[in-house]
Amino acid sequence: MDIMTIEHLTKVYGEGDTAVRALDDVSFSVQAGEFIAIIGSSGSGKSTLLHLMGGVDRPTSGTVRLQGQDIYERTDEQLAVFRRREVGLVYQFYNLIPVLDVVENMTLPVLMDGRSVNDKRLNMLLRTLKLTGREHYLPNQLSGGQQQRVAIGRALMNAPAVVLADEPTGNLDSKNSAEIMRLLRDSNRQLKQTLIVITHDEDIALMADRVIAIEDGRLVRDERIRQVPAATHGGTAAAFPSKGAR
Amino acid sequence: MSFRDLIREALRSLESNRGRSLLTILGIVIGISAVIAMTSLIGGIRNSLVESLGLNAARAVQISCAYQMKPDDVDDLARLMPEYEAIEGSAFGYTQIKNGQQTIDVSITGANSTFFQMTGALRLAEGRLFTTQEESSASRVVVLDRSGVKALFGREDITAVGKTVRIGSSDYLVVGVDERMPNTGSGGNSTYITVYMPLETVLKDFSGGYAYLTQVVGIAREGVDVDALMETTKKQVAKVMSIPDDQIDDNVYVYSMKSTIDSMTGFMNSFSLIMGAVAGISLLVGGIGIMNMMLTNVTERIREIGVRRALGATRRDITLQFLMESAVVCVAGGIIGTVLGYLLSWGLAFAASTFGLLSSMGMSTGDGTTSTLAPLVSVEAIAAAVGLSIGIGLLFGWYPARRAAKLDPVECLRSL
Repeated sequence: MDIMTIEHLTKVYGEGDTAVRALDDVSFSVQAGEFIAIIGSSGSGKSTLLHLMGGVDRPTSGTVRLQGQDIYERTDEQLAVFRRREVGLVYQFYNLIPVLDVVENMTLPVLMDGRSVNDKRLNMLLRTLKLTGREHYLPNQLSGGQQQRVAIGRALMNAPAVVLADEPTGNLDSKNSAEIMRLLRDSNRQLKQTLIVITHDEDIALMADRVIAIEDGRLVRDERIRQVPAATHGGTAAAFPSKGAR
Repeated sequence: MSFRDLIREALRSLESNRGRSLLTILGIVIGISAVIAMTSLIGGIRNSLVESLGLNAARAVQISCAYQMKPDDVDDLARLMPEYEAIEGSAFGYTQIKNGQQTIDVSITGANSTFFQMTGALRLAEGRLFTTQEESSASRVVVLDRSGVKALFGREDITAVGKTVRIGSSDYLVVGVDERMPNTGSGGNSTYITVYMPLETVLKDFSGGYAYLTQVVGIAREGVDVDALMETTKKQVAKVMSIPDDQIDDNVYVYSMKSTIDSMTGFMNSFSLIMGAVAGISLLVGGIGIMNMMLTNVTERIREIGVRRALGATRRDITLQFLMESAVVCVAGGIIGTVLGYLLSWGLAFAASTFGLLSSMGMSTGDGTTSTLAPLVSVEAIAAAVGLSIGIGLLFGWYPARRAAKLDPVECLRSL
């Protein structure tokens, strides 16, 4: 089942002679629970694509449909709500709010939504992400790997439909990179959480179900490596809280 | 985000830039304390001036008539004119006390407690005013002032209440002592004092059978137009005293302090406004300080703004977040500034009283004692100061907050 459909997506920055076609007529669809790696050189348009899939930017033309509905038909206000509830974003530089502690950073999207925090889910995430005992640390008191785990916690807190990660291990050593990828993959496998990761790392690309390559704003390769496995809901290895705990 | 979350985040952000936040708060503190000090000090001066004229001076109407009025006439007038809260007459008596070589000239003001209360002519330091019983039965009771106590008992700090003094041919019980110590104008062997007795007592003991009132004062009810009341009072006095219409202007005089007080209050208000405006300029500078701080904050936190927007914050959320920070700075500055402003105005008032600046401004109570200046502390002024500081925070925080909200999240995330 397709969860997301991208059709003729184009993004042009600037006007006239200085116009830059960051994304040029890109189309593909994403299956629910799929793990996609997006690869490409710097400035190829990967990040633009990710932001357009997450409702952070608006396309020049084309559509992004989530469960059949074009997300860019929404008003700015509705799009903000969409970002809070349906998308989890993870960045290379963690992007935590420096004045908020671990728990406050993780629960920020929930609080922005005016809802109360599901303590059960929060505690399960803290445990899974090995952040128990560091609940009230500020980002600058944490290592890079720990900060990225907080960012993953923040992305998963609302149990979003899609998790979008922009080079999540780009700033980490190999041990921490493996740990972060294991966590993202676990959430993908166990929760059937759709995961789209931008990466330069070949090993990470090989972990994915499918690899999409972007060059100069165009989709140049779309290769399935393996079939999307069935979810292992309730399985013995379920480290992540299920969507029901939302 | 709940209001509490917003405030908590605002406090954290300000805390993370403590030096800058404190300096900005200082700007607001200076502005607010200048406004508070100026307005409360000028309010205090105005109150002292009004008080020196008597608390009800603006509502008091002095009535005099060429045909002298008697207590019955005043009662008739009071019945005809419900616009007055009270109309009271006073009588004047005079006698001398021989005390060995010393002669004391005693001027006696006879009036009931209501008269003294409404004219503010007596400020009791000890004892009480007359009771209704004493007034109606013409009891021999007296209120002295400090000069009277000194003249009659030898020392001004003696407890006179409860003692009796011989004035004229009878003994009078001292029931109260006025706090003031007017100039007794003693020359040679004579001393001049004023004492206060119930109206009936003076009429009985000192009028020599002519029970005329020397002064009639009415206090208009709250909200009554004093100017119009003065006109009707003239007509009613004429009616009571049977004066023909064409002779009213020659025989009936009605006078009020209202226009004097009005112009004085008007002057003080404009003075207050001008000084407030001058102080307001420092508040404006403080406000610009806020804007400056917030613009710097927005630039420094551009990436955070991008992250928040990407995580689902609306433009409104961002606006609120930054507005809250400037409001918190202003409220903190407003509270500290209000306290500091009052301390400052008390200090200035103390200095003014100590160095006799008030006397040089002509602010004496008319009896030789300098009034002490108490700055006006009002809930309205405090509410206005806090309201003003929140207003400044929102006004000067608005532009930076909107600028933050209008930023493109993708651009923000790209910047490092």
